[in-house]
Amino acid sequence: MKDIDCTGKTSRVINQEIRHHIQAGETDIRVQHPQARHNLGVAVLQQVSLTMSGSVGYYCGGLIDGPRIEVQGSCGWGLAESMLNGTVIVNQNAGNSAAASIRGGTVVVRGSASSRAGIAMKGGTMIVQGNSGYMTGFMMQKGTIIVCGDTAEALGDSMYEGRIFVGGRIADLGNDAVIEEVTDQDQEFLATTLAQYDIAAPASFQKIVSGRRLWQFDKKDFDTWREAL
Amino acid sequence: MNEHRTSEQRTSERPVVRHSTTWKPETIEDIQAKADLGRYRIRGFSALRDRPLPSFDDLTFVPCTLTRVPLEGYREKCSTKTVLGSRFAKKPIEIDIPIMVTGMSYGALSYNAKVALAKAAARAGTSTTTGDGGMLAAEREHSDILIYEVLPSRYGIDVHHLRQADAIELTVGQGAKPGTGGLLLESKVSDEIAELRDLPPGVDQRSPCRHPDWLGPDDMLTKIEELREATDWQVPIFVKMGAARVYDDVKLAAKAGADVVVVDGMEGGTGASPDILLDHTGIPTLAAVSEARVALEECGLYGTVQLIIAGGIHSGTAAAKALALGADAVYIGTAALIALNCNKPLYVDDYHAIGAEPYACHHCHTGRCPVGITTQDPELMKRLDIDAGAERVGNFFNAMTLEIQMLARSCGKSDVHALEPEDLRALTLESSMITGIPLVGTNVVFAGGPGWKPSSER
Repeated sequence: MKDIDCTGKTSRVINQEIRHHIQAGETDIRVQHPQARHNLGVAVLQQVSLTMSGSVGYYCGGLIDGPRIEVQGSCGWGLAESMLNGTVIVNQNAGNSAAASIRGGTVVVRGSASSRAGIAMKGGTMIVQGNSGYMTGFMMQKGTIIVCGDTAEALGDSMYEGRIFVGGRIADLGNDAVIEEVTDQDQEFLATTLAQYDIAAPASFQKIVSGRRLWQFDKKDFDTWREAL
Repeated sequence: MNEHRTSEQRTSERPVVRHSTTWKPETIEDIQAKADLGRYRIRGFSALRDRPLPSFDDLTFVPCTLTRVPLEGYREKCSTKTVLGSRFAKKPIEIDIPIMVTGMSYGALSYNAKVALAKAAARAGTSTTTGDGGMLAAEREHSDILIYEVLPSRYGIDVHHLRQADAIELTVGQGAKPGTGGLLLESKVSDEIAELRDLPPGVDQRSPCRHPDWLGPDDMLTKIEELREATDWQVPIFVKMGAARVYDDVKLAAKAGADVVVVDGMEGGTGASPDILLDHTGIPTLAAVSEARVALEECGLYGTVQLIIAGGIHSGTAAAKALALGADAVYIGTAALIALNCNKPLYVDDYHAIGAEPYACHHCHTGRCPVGITTQDPELMKRLDIDAGAERVGNFFNAMTLEIQMLARSCGKSDVHALEPEDLRALTLESSMITGIPLVGTNVVFAGGPGWKPSSER
């Protein structure tokens, strides 16, 4: 395990040190005192383990392909945005747009996630152990969102495809988001996936998918489109 | 005698039919089309307004006579070399000419069109740009300099592509429809395009206009830093926006750390847009460049942050005037497609079949482009030969370059970037007001341009 102490260093220097250690063959790196700096661990493309010993700012683990990042605190906006593959775990809460536009990999928020979590997801999985904010899964394209707690307004608004599982209460469904029956395969997937991260599954889940009424414009369905546009 | 006829009509053998200027045939047709569609209308191409927009055509060059000495027009050296992104990037872009290909997606354009543009740009010593659908491998292969767009939709976003790029363009919006995302209708969302964008095949794709993970300029500053970290501060970061409140927006982009600001005027084209946005949103390119220049001057960043101007640039003259007004380079999109054969009278029956005709086709949104440019149909695409198309676009780049040089030499400039507002005069009161350039026959500066101030400060 290699330690990097962030004290007095810019994100640029910290990221350079992370890259330097990776190039030297280090596979387990601990970043100490991150003090909510932005852009830590951006664009790491190797299968290494990074531990942030504290809270981080915006875009932690953004644009990564492969690493496992654990944040031992909370994170700002855009956690793991546009990730291709890897695992990003936040032990406390996540700011807006966690897992924005990820195309693969897994994001786990052990606390609650703020608004627009899983926005424009293009693949992969996002798990929120607590609650998640409004417009969770907004314009989601593919992938899976699991929220063990409650979700705020406009859940799954304008989603193209993908699926959202909610263990708690749903304040309100977004445009064209519909509830579908949870299948046995879904139950098995949920149990296996949550067990992987030692998350106790809620008693039951609701499943939300796209109603597909926004896939093509239909003049007879004007009420939907008036809201959607 | 019919008693219902008016006295005027009774006096004429052939009564004069009077047309309303409010209820023109186009207005009537528009209402009836919407009465059928039940929605706004969608089309491609560019603004189609009745009244011409103020444009670079409203300015004229005042070349050398006795007060200044020209360069020998067809002989003397006149540099066109252009450097972009020298503010923070370790590797600024160096291109041979101040004309670049703007971002147009693989999806909006056919494979053949994308590759032809890449080859043409490489031959002309300039760059091309990816677009709202990710990086096409063949485009990377054939482009010497490729700019990778990071758009609100993030379709096809891939860190490996980002790191293969020669510059990153963070797109806030586009001139054709500032404040609204792109469209790609069902017929163009082929299985391949859907796969690349992670969408269900055959949907009407409506791209978001707001980035998923940042909102205002303060967030953008952090986003720009993220992109720099991801590319190790090697390549320039452009910020592209549709021309709206340009004076303020350019300052915000420069303050947020952009190396290059791209301003796309309302004449900018698109593959598909609600037509009201094409015709009724944004400000003309002429006004955009004027506001952008003064914004950078007031920040003390003119010359440090480069300015690229886009939107309806159709010739070397328009490009030269944009440079004189303050641009470091221009983007071309529609003009490059026209050089590829867009709107050319070939396959005329196929134009008619989609309700268009040569020289008046704006049906890119249908996916039935008669000349194989804005289509995903393999049969239509074959109509565009990649190498022949690349040669035409390359020739057009060369012609534009010669035109810019010709105007620069006539103004006594040995570098096209030395063109300046003093080389221009305004032909209309309107363009004088916009640019701050004196109206011909006067020495009066009415307002605008380098003297442009928001009304609160006048």
